[in-house]
Amino acid sequence: MTGEALRSEALRKVYHSKGAPPVEALSGVSMEVRRRERVALLGRNGAGKTTFLKIASTLLRPTSGSIEVFGFDVDRTPEKVRPYIAVVPQEGKPFFHLTPREQIFTYLRTRGLSRETARFRTEQSLSRMGLTDFADRLSITLSGGQRQRTMVATVIATEAPLLFLDEPTIGMDPFARRAVWASLRDLTDRGSTILLTTHYLDEAEALSHRLYIVERGHVIVSGTAEELKWAVGGTLKVTLPQAAPEVERFRSFGECALDGALLTIIVHPERLGELMEVAFRAKLSATVGPVTLEEAFLRVVGRSIDED
Amino acid sequence: MATSMVVQGVILVFVWILNSSLIGVALVGAVLFSMFTMGQRVLNEAAYIRIDHKANDLYLAGPLSPESYFLGMSAGILVVYVPPVLVVGVLAVLVVPLTAAEVLLLLGLSAVVWVTAASIGYVFSTGFRDNRAIWAYSSLFFNVFGVLPPVFYPLRLFPAPLRPVVLLMPPSAASSLMQWATGVTQLSLGELLLAAGGLVAEAAILVSFAIFWARRTVRGR
Repeated sequence: MTGEALRSEALRKVYHSKGAPPVEALSGVSMEVRRRERVALLGRNGAGKTTFLKIASTLLRPTSGSIEVFGFDVDRTPEKVRPYIAVVPQEGKPFFHLTPREQIFTYLRTRGLSRETARFRTEQSLSRMGLTDFADRLSITLSGGQRQRTMVATVIATEAPLLFLDEPTIGMDPFARRAVWASLRDLTDRGSTILLTTHYLDEAEALSHRLYIVERGHVIVSGTAEELKWAVGGTLKVTLPQAAPEVERFRSFGECALDGALLTIIVHPERLGELMEVAFRAKLSATVGPVTLEEAFLRVVGRSIDED
Repeated sequence: MATSMVVQGVILVFVWILNSSLIGVALVGAVLFSMFTMGQRVLNEAAYIRIDHKANDLYLAGPLSPESYFLGMSAGILVVYVPPVLVVGVLAVLVVPLTAAEVLLLLGLSAVVWVTAASIGYVFSTGFRDNRAIWAYSSLFFNVFGVLPPVFYPLRLFPAPLRPVVLLMPPSAASSLMQWATGVTQLSLGELLLAAGGLVAEAAILVSFAIFWARRTVRGR
């Protein structure tokens, strides 16, 4: 196995369906995930995240380009890749007539784990995900969040070298989400690699070492959350209520956005003093705060749409 | 589980009322028809868990082979639905009555019909993209091919020119072989070979194709 868990080069996927024009879901995606990394794929609905995960997890054939998992070609030798991976599918559900304990145990047994190991990992995973109290209830009686926890617990219990998680915490309460984060951190500490998609930007920031933002089948930005924030022109956000008429005074400080009368400026910390002085002279009140990943994301993705 | 026997139950009641001398044939037919409709359950279940639960993504993106997934699922469905079939089988043994050799033949034919039907069910299941149409079409297919041919009634009541056709259909071929074994129906050597050979050949071809298809459809295109 190589040092990289996953590497794709110019990966393309075009969907063809009768009576409809072809849809290019991926347009030459190149990326790499190093071993023991947690990497998040971000992007709006339909950006191509799930398509990438499906190709990487051997469930979909690419149109062109290459993708390797632990040095094995995913397209040519999927059977060599599969023992190393596990997937939390988007909108997957546990079997309704199995309990979470049965679901996890059965799944581990189908992956070839011994009865003893499967039993031990099942209990461990149930405990990690806070499912012990519901472990013997049929899944059909569980809430949506509990079912999703069961799905994540099922896959986490595999301790596979590479885990693909497609929106793993959707529908979970904040406590459950944090339990998932802790489990995923623990897994990478013990040698696993994780590639996930999420729409929760706080989750991506708290959990991942690196991020890729995908838009219309292209990777438009990649790096750490901090690098992404810098990429939009600074790490501080200055909010000026009632400043719309004064917008031209502030354009030189950084990217400006108007929401009614509210003016928001992304600014480099070194220019903050200068900006505050201009605001003071114009008798405008100002609030300063950190740029969130969500703001950076919206600006990056929004900009790409403007450019189109 | 019990609702899986509604069609068979209704037909058995009708046979009992209309011509009770045929109830033995109908009971054996009910066993074979039940094994054939296991294919319908495989179709329903395989499509449902693939579409609604994303079970294929969970199970097939891992070390489990596609053929193990198909055969394991089919066997799991058999385990769940077979108890009421066993009850009907015991009734058939007592009512006909069946000898030990005939019981063994019934078990063998049931296994062949099941594996054929499960293969058809799994292959068909991959063609559905939503759950809306599954139940209607699957029950139509399996009930038409399981009820209209001579499965619940003797082959001799079926129009002679069309017999080769029904001797090539798994449930009616199996039923005809049981009717021949129990002396209900006479089969020529050609008909015997057609029914037995066709049944075995169809099972072998369809299982092989289902395994090939299971491997091929792991990955979308």
